[in-house]
Amino acid sequence: MDPFIHPIFGKSIKKEVPFYFNGELLKAREGQTVAAALMANGIKKLGVSRKLQQSRGLFCANGRCCSCFVSVNELDHVLSCMTLVEKGMKVDSNNGDPNVRGEKNGD
Amino acid sequence: METDLLIIGGGPAGLNAAYEAASHGIETLVIEESFSMGGQLRQQTQVLDKLPKQFEKQRGTTLARTLIEKLSTLNVKVLLKHTMIGTYQDGRIGVSNGVKTIPITAKRIIVTTGAAEEASVFPGWTLPGVMTIGAAQILMNREYVQPGKNALVLGSNTFSLEIVKQFKEMGVTVRGIIESNSELISKHEKIIKSIKKDGIPLYLNSYIENATGVGEVQKVTLNHNGITEEMNIDLVCIGKGVAPILEPFEIMNCSFTYQIRLGGWVPQYSISMETSSPSAYIAGNAAGITSMGGILLTGQLAAVSVAESLGFLNEKLATEKRASLWKELHCIETTADLREVFNARMALIKDYHEEANLLPSSLFDLSLEEC
Ligand code: FES
Repeated sequence: MDPFIHPIFGKSIKKEVPFYFNGELLKAREGQTVAAALMANGIKKLGVSRKLQQSRGLFCANGRCCSCFVSVNELDHVLSCMTLVEKGMKVDSNNGDPNVRGEKNGD
Repeated sequence: METDLLIIGGGPAGLNAAYEAASHGIETLVIEESFSMGGQLRQQTQVLDKLPKQFEKQRGTTLARTLIEKLSTLNVKVLLKHTMIGTYQDGRIGVSNGVKTIPITAKRIIVTTGAAEEASVFPGWTLPGVMTIGAAQILMNREYVQPGKNALVLGSNTFSLEIVKQFKEMGVTVRGIIESNSELISKHEKIIKSIKKDGIPLYLNSYIENATGVGEVQKVTLNHNGITEEMNIDLVCIGKGVAPILEPFEIMNCSFTYQIRLGGWVPQYSISMETSSPSAYIAGNAAGITSMGGILLTGQLAAVSVAESLGFLNEKLATEKRASLWKELHCIETTADLREVFNARMALIKDYHEEANLLPSSLFDLSLEEC
């Protein structure tokens, strides 16, 4: 992960947080969103589109475009740009239609 | 859940409205779909001037903190990661936290959903690495992540150019600014000058033919004046401007009007910032794209009207307060090169007053001399 020095805020001194993406152990900085933490690890492709199976990544970073869906701790269809990374979080690519009626996906 | 006032959106308009309302003793609940408050201010490192007089000139990120801190001693409850998803037949608002739907009964509602960036469609625009210019700003200023190394920026409004300036400081090389018009959209001379001085290529009369790559964008074909050029690019930022976010108003059956100067379709509203849906008010960029001064002041205006309608402020005081806020808004918007925005806003309000048989307001005739 690149140490990133911000011209106004200086160096990020936030704690490192371990998390998993598709089974691989990665490091994020505390307070980062899942999408940004992945991009900081050089991962731009977060999953594929439901119908045409085309690569998808962060587009708006603002919860509007729905391009950045991932599964978080087995909950499908989570917007990675609107979710803060947490220690030990298991993030997986959404590679097809999510099972939104599944038990773990709320009511 | 029950409350006097429900504010939908915890950005600058919502926070300032919450402050004004709660200062009058109104029980206020703010719902915000993100994990923190402050909205777009959270990534704005630009220094904002032309703010309402009670605010000093400050960075957006600082202003976010200022607004949040002002609420700390007041009767304001905040629900983060909560989104309005619908209404019940009896008028309650349905709010989801991603797991459950919670009905909220509110005597009044102020919708401050802000604006969203427009997309631009070309073959390959959905590839990872293609993003809005605002997304790049979020990555840099909120997330401490470099969005890419070799960038093309599509669109030349002032916001795009500001981010182009920041790219340089972040080690992102801007390989070109692409504009389909024959001149730049931004009229901000200072920033244009400095971009030219930095030697950033400006491609006028140009467009992106396509973006390609395996799993992410790697190459972009540019067409300028009919000549094509292929570039190795790993970041394409789309800066096409923003438009009001309208879903809550659609759900609440508000009437709309089209005002290109305000960002396209906007809900109709009165001089009190009340929409055509009873008890629902509007403020901020949702009420028409403007500067931070306009966003904050419309928030305050809506809250004053809510305070009046709930009996927390008498008619005389409310009218006086509204008049002074409108005057300030008029002065800020007209001096910040936003005269057209102000005029479009007034035209919208006047039309609505006529259509809905509301009383005309003396505020329709604000004059520049008072600034
Ligand atoms: S990137 Fe658009 S919703 Fe997450």
